[in-house]
Amino acid sequence: MSGPLSRVLDAFGAGASSLTEVGERTGLAADVVRASVEHLVRLGRIEAKALAAGCPAGGCGGCASGGPGGSPGCGAASPSSARTGPVLVALTLRR
Amino acid sequence: MTATGTRRLKVAPALPTIQAACHGPAGRGAGEGAPVVALAGAPNVGKSTLFNALTGLRATTGNWPGTTVDVGRGVWRFRAGDRVCACAHCEGTCAAHQPSEFTLVDLPGAYSLDPISPDEELTRALLVDAPAAERPDAVVVVVDAAHLARSLHLVCQLRESTHRVVVALTMTDVARQAGVEVDSHALAEAVGCPVVVVDPRRRTGLDNLTRFVRESLARPRPTARVVALASDDLAREDERFGWIEAAVDAGTTTSGAQRMSFSDRVDRVALHPVAGPLLFLAVMWLVFQITTTVAAPLQDALDGLFTGPVSDAVRAGLGLVGLGGTWVEGLLVDGLVAGVGMLLTFVPLMALMFVLLALLEDSGYLARAAVVSNKLMRSIGLPGKAFLPLIVGFGCNVPAISATRILGDARQRILTALLVPFTSCTARLTVYVMVGTIFFGRAAGTVVFVMYLLSILFVVGVGLALRATLWRTMGAEPLVLDLPPYQAPTLRLTASVTWTRLQGFLRTASGIIVVTVCAVWLLQSIPTQQGESFGSVPVEDSVYAAGARAVAPVFAPAGFDAWQTTSALVVGFVAKEAVISSWAQIYAVTEPAEGEDPGDLGAAIMGAFEESSGGHPLPAVWAFLIFLMAYTPCVATVAAQHREIGLRWTLFGIAVQLAVAWTAAVAVFQIGRLFW
Repeated sequence: MSGPLSRVLDAFGAGASSLTEVGERTGLAADVVRASVEHLVRLGRIEAKALAAGCPAGGCGGCASGGPGGSPGCGAASPSSARTGPVLVALTLRR
Repeated sequence: MTATGTRRLKVAPALPTIQAACHGPAGRGAGEGAPVVALAGAPNVGKSTLFNALTGLRATTGNWPGTTVDVGRGVWRFRAGDRVCACAHCEGTCAAHQPSEFTLVDLPGAYSLDPISPDEELTRALLVDAPAAERPDAVVVVVDAAHLARSLHLVCQLRESTHRVVVALTMTDVARQAGVEVDSHALAEAVGCPVVVVDPRRRTGLDNLTRFVRESLARPRPTARVVALASDDLAREDERFGWIEAAVDAGTTTSGAQRMSFSDRVDRVALHPVAGPLLFLAVMWLVFQITTTVAAPLQDALDGLFTGPVSDAVRAGLGLVGLGGTWVEGLLVDGLVAGVGMLLTFVPLMALMFVLLALLEDSGYLARAAVVSNKLMRSIGLPGKAFLPLIVGFGCNVPAISATRILGDARQRILTALLVPFTSCTARLTVYVMVGTIFFGRAAGTVVFVMYLLSILFVVGVGLALRATLWRTMGAEPLVLDLPPYQAPTLRLTASVTWTRLQGFLRTASGIIVVTVCAVWLLQSIPTQQGESFGSVPVEDSVYAAGARAVAPVFAPAGFDAWQTTSALVVGFVAKEAVISSWAQIYAVTEPAEGEDPGDLGAAIMGAFEESSGGHPLPAVWAFLIFLMAYTPCVATVAAQHREIGLRWTLFGIAVQLAVAWTAAVAVFQIGRLFW
């Protein structure tokens, strides 16, 4: 049987859409799933991006309204003000 | 070392070894010959609190020689009475027996010995790369019981060497609250080193920790854990995580009843394949219903303010300075006050909707909605990542186009950028609400809800059509969403997000819409026939109306070919809010029909649809709304598309939008008029 990291990667590839689903597919405890994903991010196998509704994932630098040097062009103090709430993290397999 | 309190050390560069630094001339540790114990662990596991509890005020903090990394050093004192060593002929000279103090070195926070930060580099240098004689005599690894698997990685790596390791287990109370009970004996058995439960804040378990460290020092260094040769990084780490999984399984028990958190319980419904989407639709319907119902009286009051006192005051002011009845009055009253004022009546509505969406966002529910949407995208074969810019698009299409940059594949980026304009942005919401209120009264919220549903269907439909034709070879990319737990929304964040978005709406109203209103007024002021002068021409005889009439026949099959409606859609290319200001301008300068209230914009719009549809206004209105939702959102979006996907694809996108919008509008009207 392959190790936890391989199982987590397999679950990603098989179409799991949340960490809960990864846990169900792999049979791993939630704590182990989370640690595995964090470690796969460290290894560069998974890419993690924090998302906040209303702001592009790249922050002001990735926004069409962004000013020079990545400053906010929309008048907001910064995208971080909208990121202090619950943040959804998108995890994708890195190619 | 005699330091009391914390101070910054100024030390000369030296070899990065613990022994050299602790027993060098500076003498920053315990007395000569005292064992050196390193305190290691990931950040935020209670390591510094434990260090302070063990050393009290006998500690110093400073940069490690040659680095900018802070390292604390202190004296860990204890009663040395008990003999803990097992030496056969010990005469009180062994390291474990004799000393009553250790030098305790608080290593920088490190999750792993494979470094990705300066902190971890130093930790590795001191524990792994240093010569064996220069390594610490023992290592206390602080492990967070609430994140056991994460914390055990360092333990796992240290067990692959001959370090004397003692695990100090913190946060057991937090783990217990989450339904996880850690059995320190079973865990010790599994990881092959002592495990001591400590609570540095309450200073419990410290004596036990001292005893275990002394006992450990009294024993010879342990043998290293045998690790099979690995073919690559992943295989090696897989082996380690297999060891960690086994240790977690052996050392913890999870209470079934407690295992599900509040978030887990709610998510059973919110993320259910059937109930999840239904709940999402219900929540969004409620948002639009509350928005339109509660904001309606405020909107009416503001409308009365702009068409009444504000317009009258401007007229009176202009009369006083001799500009009454001139083109200046036309520009200010029929142009700016009517156009921009009508848009500003939507401020309460937008504010309310932004508040409700911010509450949903802050509570963590919108993240669930994203998961539900993601599943929908994937079910039809669109790339998982594509849903992210599409979600942003429901706020504003412009940043959503930029957000397509997160897609690594150029073909996916182009496809997603072509789909974004079909997501219904908040600018279109104002028109939905206005038209919905005029034609459907209290059911306006449901109309808005249906428009958002149709928007999703258009994204899916056009996406499927493009995938089936131009993008047949594109593969799907896995995407997993890590959901935050639910939380009570905070006033500060809700207010902050609402204000930021409202500012964006007001900036549009005060910027691009003012310019558009002036341009529209200018075109309305230029006569097409000789004998009429600039600024006093009836709008029906203006260049504006003539241009609109030239385009209007295109919309005859869709039932909304009145020139007033057509012109509003043409102006809507600039920005969707301009549809409203355009209508307000046209009807403000048009003589009201007999018996019609001059300020009743709704009646005038209704009359135009009634006439153009040949007595089938409702199908024509639905056709109009669908066209409005599907055609090119605004010039800013076109500019963003041009920048992201180039001119060719941008023109292709505009053509697709117009074709889809027109076809759908005609289909809805032609079918609808058979029934209504």
